[in-house]
Amino acid sequence: MLTVVKKEFKSCFLAVKYNIMREMLNPVTFVTNVLFMILNNASFIIQWLILYSLQDSIGGYSFKQVMLLWALAATTYGISHIIFHNAYRLSDLITDGKLDSYIVQPKNILLNVITSSTSISAIGDLLYGIIIAILIGLNWEEWLLFIFFSITGAIITTALAVISGSTSFFIIKGDMIASNVNNLLVHFSTYPEGIFNRTIKFIFYTIFPISYIVYMPIRIISKFNLGLTIIVSLVTILTIYLSFAIFNKGLKRYSSSNLMSARI
Amino acid sequence: MKKYFSIYKMTLLENIQYLSNLFFNFITFTLTIYIFLCLWQYMYKDPSNLIEGYDLTQMIWYVLITECMWYGNRNKSLMESMSNDIKSGSIAYNLNKPYSYLIFMIAKHFGEITLKFIFYFIISIILGFIFVGPLDNFAFAMLPLIIISMILGVIINSLIRIVISLLSFWIEDSTPFHWIYDKLILVIGTLFPVELFPLFLQPIIKCSPIFVVNYGPAKLFIDFSFASFRTIFVAQIIYVILIVILATIIYRKGVKKLNVNGG
Repeated sequence: MLTVVKKEFKSCFLAVKYNIMREMLNPVTFVTNVLFMILNNASFIIQWLILYSLQDSIGGYSFKQVMLLWALAATTYGISHIIFHNAYRLSDLITDGKLDSYIVQPKNILLNVITSSTSISAIGDLLYGIIIAILIGLNWEEWLLFIFFSITGAIITTALAVISGSTSFFIIKGDMIASNVNNLLVHFSTYPEGIFNRTIKFIFYTIFPISYIVYMPIRIISKFNLGLTIIVSLVTILTIYLSFAIFNKGLKRYSSSNLMSARI
Repeated sequence: MKKYFSIYKMTLLENIQYLSNLFFNFITFTLTIYIFLCLWQYMYKDPSNLIEGYDLTQMIWYVLITECMWYGNRNKSLMESMSNDIKSGSIAYNLNKPYSYLIFMIAKHFGEITLKFIFYFIISIILGFIFVGPLDNFAFAMLPLIIISMILGVIINSLIRIVISLLSFWIEDSTPFHWIYDKLILVIGTLFPVELFPLFLQPIIKCSPIFVVNYGPAKLFIDFSFASFRTIFVAQIIYVILIVILATIIYRKGVKKLNVNGG
């Protein structure tokens, strides 16, 4: 069992390594993509500076906490799109019948699919998150929690992308559902929790678990709470289980398009 | 011009076949507006408050109009297709055809966004009425002038996107420049009016594309005056002329530089 897991991890690591090496073939495009993504994210600081010039606290968050929210959201998004970028294309792969080349390989199908491409601009997101975390001056305990929750957040985000992408196995417009879910995840996770009403918060803690990606981790980093940390960890495990279960169930309904294609 | 109108019409008819896609996009749009509604409701703890002369209703209508103009004009033709045509060299197939590639892309783009823009405009009006109710003293009689300004804003936005995509003649991927432009419009132009920025920044923003693309038309919508219409309209016409000249120069230089391998 342990050997299988080890092999799968090694295989994922190699896939990501070769994806990045392939993208680095054109260094100008690579550097431009990374740098401009950092600038792109940094532009939102203007928005928050303007809003905090009107009030000292927004939704119960200080300016520093909003920056921490952005840092966590950016690293979460960055890690997810560097390692599992194809999870966000899953819907198209299913609809176009392009899973054949993954199915025939002696690897875990879902992991093989989602690790087979990398978004280079996501490296910019990851770096931006780290830069902001350095600038707001986290101490070493906060850094440990920040790294831990960046990983759990990336796993939950990817799992949600897999679940929403897998709807394409069952319904025709699954790609629209997947794109809406992924867009909304980014939109909602970059605004303080306190501005939303109770109904929205309930949704964030249940069917659309954004709270476990950013809001709860922010609370834990600000003031450590073991109980909440366990809850976030359990939710992460649950979403991993659900994503594999739904994908595998959907895979039984998959039909190939007999498309001849090469994975380069 | 007849052939370009035919391209526009064909693309428009093609897009009518995919109306259902618009309804799915409506979910993201509505929830994005909802986030801004929550944010501004929090900022205006007392709805009768004024922030830089704007009340809550005006602020939400401002966001609705600017977001409608941003979402309604987002399109892959100008952002991805043009860059890909240049990058892959498939632009060569268009260059030897009896039409101008630039006008062809503009006609195609407007064919793709016409329905989208009308859809988002109607949705914005409905959401405005649901979320905050009608605007006080809205100038109904001036609606045609406001719509002209909005259309000019969309045209300028599209032309700027064309100029950015044409950079692909020199750099392989112009997408990062689109991100920066998008964020400039989104962060500075859509969430709040120019008046909320520090005084020293306001003249700079008023000279930037944000003034003619987003702020101007939205300002006319929430607080119309002939004086501001004149200023915004003149600025928009100047921008259209300047960007058309710029796009033509860049395109001609780029085409001369183009080097396509056969295949």
